[in-house]
Amino acid sequence: MAAAVEYIQKDSPVHRLNAATKIFWALFTLACGLLFNDYRYLLGLLASVLLVAAAGRVLKNLLPAITGLSVFALILLLIQALFYDQGQVIFHLIPQTSYLPVTNYGILSGVAMAARMLSLVLSFLVLLATTRIQDMVLTMVEKFKMPYDYAFMFMTTLRFIPTFLGEVRQITDAQKARGHAVEGFNPFKKIRSYAPVTVPLVLISLNKAENMAMAMETRGYGGGRRTYFKEPKMRGADYLLTAVLLLLLVLGVTARVKGLGVM
Amino acid sequence: MTAARQPLIKVENLTYQYNGAQPVLKNISLEIGRGECLAVIGQNGSGKTTLVKHFNGLLKPSSGRVYINGRDTGPQKVSTLARTVGYVFQNPDHQIFHDTVGKEVAFGLKNLRLPAEEIERRVNEALEAVGLTGHYATYPFNLSKGQRQRVALASVLAMHTEVIVLDEPTTGQDYRESVQIMEMVKNLHEKGHTIVFITHDMSLVARYAARTVVLCEGEILADAPVRAVFAQPELLARSYLKPPQITLLAQELGKRAIPPDVISVREMYDLLQKARADKIGCCG
Ligand SMILES: Nc1ncnc2c1ncn2[C@@H]1O[C@H](COP(=O)(O)OP(=O)(O)OP(=O)(O)O)[C@@H](O)[C@H]1O
Ligand SMILES: [Mg+2]
Repeated sequence: MAAAVEYIQKDSPVHRLNAATKIFWALFTLACGLLFNDYRYLLGLLASVLLVAAAGRVLKNLLPAITGLSVFALILLLIQALFYDQGQVIFHLIPQTSYLPVTNYGILSGVAMAARMLSLVLSFLVLLATTRIQDMVLTMVEKFKMPYDYAFMFMTTLRFIPTFLGEVRQITDAQKARGHAVEGFNPFKKIRSYAPVTVPLVLISLNKAENMAMAMETRGYGGGRRTYFKEPKMRGADYLLTAVLLLLLVLGVTARVKGLGVM
Repeated sequence: MTAARQPLIKVENLTYQYNGAQPVLKNISLEIGRGECLAVIGQNGSGKTTLVKHFNGLLKPSSGRVYINGRDTGPQKVSTLARTVGYVFQNPDHQIFHDTVGKEVAFGLKNLRLPAEEIERRVNEALEAVGLTGHYATYPFNLSKGQRQRVALASVLAMHTEVIVLDEPTTGQDYRESVQIMEMVKNLHEKGHTIVFITHDMSLVARYAARTVVLCEGEILADAPVRAVFAQPELLARSYLKPPQITLLAQELGKRAIPPDVISVREMYDLLQKARADKIGCCG
């Protein structure tokens, strides 16, 4: 998962788009995911997200994340299929009895849920993988008028995930090298055996936070109006795409009001 | 006995790559005998840490094999290998988590399931060895970074492992603490421990190691006694390293009276005295 939340430097049409366009696209996907619950619409949405990932040449990098998410998707599907009891019964999970019926609508609504979850999460991951965090923050502050402090907090949190995972690995290594083993099956022992990792992690993190606060202050954080070295421009493709997405969104809402795309 | 003849550490055609496609270690073969003191040097990113992390199983080869005492590390757990190979990390804060120095040093010994009296004895012994005798009950985070580094060192020393690997044990230490740490390492070596250390400080290599391995972009550029390596400045330059100044001076002074592999001031002094006595000296 570590690689999934990081910017992946590549030269692709998606990378070249303005951050605002990509954020808008992620919001658009979110809106569509929530508007519809017909499995065909949602599978289509998922396909479109995968297409964008492919166009951004990050599909391969996202593969581990996709695999991980698919497990969740399967669980969602299973739960939905189990507890949805409308529609035609196809089979019973416990054969030869009438317990735990699985219905056709149950399966279809499970598929819809799984596809929705995958599209929403993946669109966010594609956004992160193809957009530099600085650009994203700049857009949020300048275009969406978010207070800089919040944008900065958001950026720092994202930035710290890989750092923390790295620290966890180093600490685990250091303790293993002194013969420490995360022990067997006893849950109490197991929790206790995490202390050698969690304690240094907390201390190191506090230290890092303190250092960062100092570094920010020495660089004049909060010292007044900010200007920017690089102001990302909206180009033709950005205006075009935004317009198309807006149009699609309007169409989507109209369709939904007319009762299309819902089961 | 075969055990005495087989090398303690044997690396066979080791190739290693992290997630990226580029291998960080390329087909490395190396043998380290019992009781050796070996320095691993090379520029930043040349693969030194990656190499020594294979010695206690923290990393497992992408291809090739690493044997410790004749046993392949591949299927062995790090916590098992820790009985044979101790590893001191560069940053002590990645391991310290107890509220007293004594408990911290005892951690590894408890993992080895030693009896309480034995643990107590070894903790005191290790604290004495690193010069922290009075600090048994001190809160580790009240110590200086250099002192914490020595706590980490003590916690590995106490385990009495055959091999001790030290990744840049003196980085960030002042001169006095560096020398103290290295004297401690030397002491262990004299007691029969096998030592592998990484450093960027060539004068420490000259002073404490017998043999040195030069890594350059994941390959072994040289593997020879320290003198022999320092006598070849062109070779070192390929890894952006420079011999210690006294060796450079010897090389500058020319070939006749002063050999190019002088590595200590004492040695240079003796040679110069002798040259003066013989009246063929170069420095009058
Ligand atoms: N966890 C990791 N994931 C991916 N690449 C890594 C990782 N650790 C190290 N590398 C890469 O492997 C190469 C060798 O790293 P290594 O840490 O072994 O070098 P080193 O010789 O110890 O350098 P230094 O003198 O800076 O400590 C570097 O190019 C580094 O970027
Ligand atoms: Mg290193």
